[in-house]
Amino acid sequence: MKKKSSILKWIFIGAVVGLLLVFPAIAKSRYQVHIVNNIGIWLLLSLGLNIAMGYGGQFNLALGALWGVGAYTAALLQTRLGVPFWINLPLSIIAAAVMAAFVGLPSFKVRSHYLAIVTIGLGEVINLFLVNQDELTGGALGINRIKPPSLFGFPINTDERFYYLILIMVILGYLIGRQIVSHRIGRALRALRDDFQAARAMGVNTGYYQILAFAISGAYAGAAGALFAQWNSYISPDIFEFKSALIVLTMILVGGIGKLPGSVVGTVLLLLLNEYLRVFERWQLVGYGVAIIVVVLFLPGGVIQLAGKFEDFRHRWLARVANEKPDMEEERNVP
Amino acid sequence: MNITSIFIQTLIGGIGIGSLYALIALGYSMTFRSMGLVNFAQGSIYMVGTYFGIIWYRGMVMGLHVPYAAAFLIGLLCNALLGLLLERIFRPLAKLDLMFMLLATIGLGFILDNLFTIIFGAEGFAVDSPLSNTPWNIYGIRVLPQMALLIGVSALLMIGLQLFLSKTKLGMAMRASAVDFEIARTMGIPTNRMNALALSVGCMMSAAAGILAAPIVYVAPSMGAAVGLKGFAAAILGGLGSIPGAIAGGLVFGVLEALSAGFISSQWTKAIAFIVMVVVLMVKPSGIVGEITVEKV
Amino acid sequence: MFLEIDQLTMQFGGLVAVNNVSISIKKGEIHGLIGPNGSGKTTIFNVLSGYYKPTGGKVSFEGRVISGLPAHQITAAGFARTFQSMRLFKTMTVLENLLVAMGHHATVNLFQEIFNPLAVRREEGRFVEKATELLDLLEVGNFANELATSLPYGHQRRVEMARALATDPKVILLDEPAAGLNEVETEDLRKTLMKIRDLGVTIFLVEHDMKLVMGICEIISVLDYGKKIAEGTGPAIRENPVVIEAYLGKEDD
Repeated sequence: MKKKSSILKWIFIGAVVGLLLVFPAIAKSRYQVHIVNNIGIWLLLSLGLNIAMGYGGQFNLALGALWGVGAYTAALLQTRLGVPFWINLPLSIIAAAVMAAFVGLPSFKVRSHYLAIVTIGLGEVINLFLVNQDELTGGALGINRIKPPSLFGFPINTDERFYYLILIMVILGYLIGRQIVSHRIGRALRALRDDFQAARAMGVNTGYYQILAFAISGAYAGAAGALFAQWNSYISPDIFEFKSALIVLTMILVGGIGKLPGSVVGTVLLLLLNEYLRVFERWQLVGYGVAIIVVVLFLPGGVIQLAGKFEDFRHRWLARVANEKPDMEEERNVP
Repeated sequence: MNITSIFIQTLIGGIGIGSLYALIALGYSMTFRSMGLVNFAQGSIYMVGTYFGIIWYRGMVMGLHVPYAAAFLIGLLCNALLGLLLERIFRPLAKLDLMFMLLATIGLGFILDNLFTIIFGAEGFAVDSPLSNTPWNIYGIRVLPQMALLIGVSALLMIGLQLFLSKTKLGMAMRASAVDFEIARTMGIPTNRMNALALSVGCMMSAAAGILAAPIVYVAPSMGAAVGLKGFAAAILGGLGSIPGAIAGGLVFGVLEALSAGFISSQWTKAIAFIVMVVVLMVKPSGIVGEITVEKV
Repeated sequence: MFLEIDQLTMQFGGLVAVNNVSISIKKGEIHGLIGPNGSGKTTIFNVLSGYYKPTGGKVSFEGRVISGLPAHQITAAGFARTFQSMRLFKTMTVLENLLVAMGHHATVNLFQEIFNPLAVRREEGRFVEKATELLDLLEVGNFANELATSLPYGHQRRVEMARALATDPKVILLDEPAAGLNEVETEDLRKTLMKIRDLGVTIFLVEHDMKLVMGICEIISVLDYGKKIAEGTGPAIRENPVVIEAYLGKEDD
């Protein structure tokens, strides 16, 4: 039983990886690749937020502004100083992570519902700065003509080429995220979320991990920002306002808060729906709001929870068919 | 125009805006106090209430031009009903993990904001004051009649609320229900209905705020977002859950904002407001008057 | 000079919960703390574990003042505690609960944590081994991969103790470990406490179950209204008229 499902799992993964690798070649249009690239960027945001909020319980609703910090750092470095992407990227990551750490400082003194509004407020302050510092940031008009990156003289200036860059970054982001949440940091974050006082009593340096959670979400946002700036070649403050944090929030909530694959599911689902239901523009946003409430009330674990229920159901059904007791032990060990 | 009159004018403007924030802060505090829930949709409710009233006043419903006072009452009534509906929605939410509770109310706000944008369009409109548009001139201080109306009616509402809560049987039942849910229940107080009442009152206050302020600020579906945030900040400033705290917090916040807009760059007022709030939260989290802690099973 | 509670006072506004209490605990001892409800026992624990900063007096451990330090530093100094209302991490398995408690012993730094999976896996393997040992010692080893809060009550209590032990403490503070246990389970608890003592851990215990307290504690301190009214061995306390008065005067607790 176990061997069979293991082989199936690897075949599935293999198929997905294969598909991902050849996607630009089999895509029906350049536009499709463009959409997938967009999904990739939002994926980075939602992975980061899920780690901070889903695992660590830290409300970071300044995410949009942090994304902006990453984007503006890269954009300014590129347009003013001609700094290449490969140096922009780590700098954006650091800038956003540090900014995120500052945003997270109030988390020491301030509880959940206050923290949420504090981070919203701080995000607004950051955005205000971006809009008002015309000299530096171009103000409301933003920055344009950001040059695309190039690898040893080979320019990455089409959606197809960007696809591979984004794919690599998303895969790296996911693997790093997985490494973070499966070990000490992940457990400490979950302890923070499960029972703050007990975590402290068990020796967890809660202050350190709270800031770390913020910094991690900031780092991912920074990466997403740098990527976005050089992909879109134009950025303006309104891309990074509070609304985007809310959208990412919806993604992780719908997909499955507290589980990394949930980020993937939620982001892909929502953005694909976004595409296919593009006609319904504003209604989509209403839909997001409804989705949040429905998920919170009926399916707090998101789509991933549904998948889990389906797994249990499948087990029980198979066991009944084979007429033996269901063996749930092995499945439990899967992280 | 000497500095004193400018100062007083700014102060009055601050009290006006502060009354607005105070009324909204009341909404937050009343919801928190009765249901232990922070309603992030309060700003959207303010916007919704404004529309409920102003559309009648402005003749947007079948061309009927309803007098301002009547429109005011209609708006209040509609929002009161909304409050009853909200209690039903919040009941299951109040039992949840804090994070989910907050997310759900944020989602609710999102729904209302975008729904009204679909119905009325993202562009807003200006509203004429039922009183004169020319400012009164009192000893060199210029005050818009509408501003005076805003301050006056707000004050009446707030005083009325305080009296209601402390002097009437219903009001005291509401307070009992908020203080200890279980005990109130055993005393036979219909706690769910008390919560519904609390929410209704909170929503009515927001509607009042919006309709009174409409001729001064711009009416648009996006008006709730910024005000909602500031109203919450004001509620925190005064101490979340405290009625006098909400009033005090709102007024202080409004005055602070007006003074900084008047004497420092207006671009940064928003930032200053938040910074003040963050500082207060870090220094004295229970606010100026003091937070009411809510123990919900 | 092992664990010295020195003229400890804890005042909340107008209420004096702990009033000038001094208790001296020797290494390897099993020391009990009893008293009617509201006498300040849990408050003392909260001060010891770093949840409160005392308003008067101090607590010294191995010569060093620890009162007022943040909780995680006190844990690092060698204190562990269990809670009256059990506080296991609800989204984690039994094993994960213990691993969290061992986290502060980790030697890999942040960078390695993320970029050196081999080192992480090695160290984690060591931790898992030690955790499994502890779980086996407390006879809940079979449930290592179960969700901690899905276990029956008695087992959860043991997991909580195992978790406290996982922090590798020198002193363990047990807050009413027998609460909700029946006679058989309480006897098991007594045996478990002996095992813990054999590991070299000093036990400081708050309890209402007199049989357990008399049966296992070497020295017992008695509190009433925040003051220490008696201290001594089990038999001495049992006969002490002041203690009897304090309990009788309280009617049913």
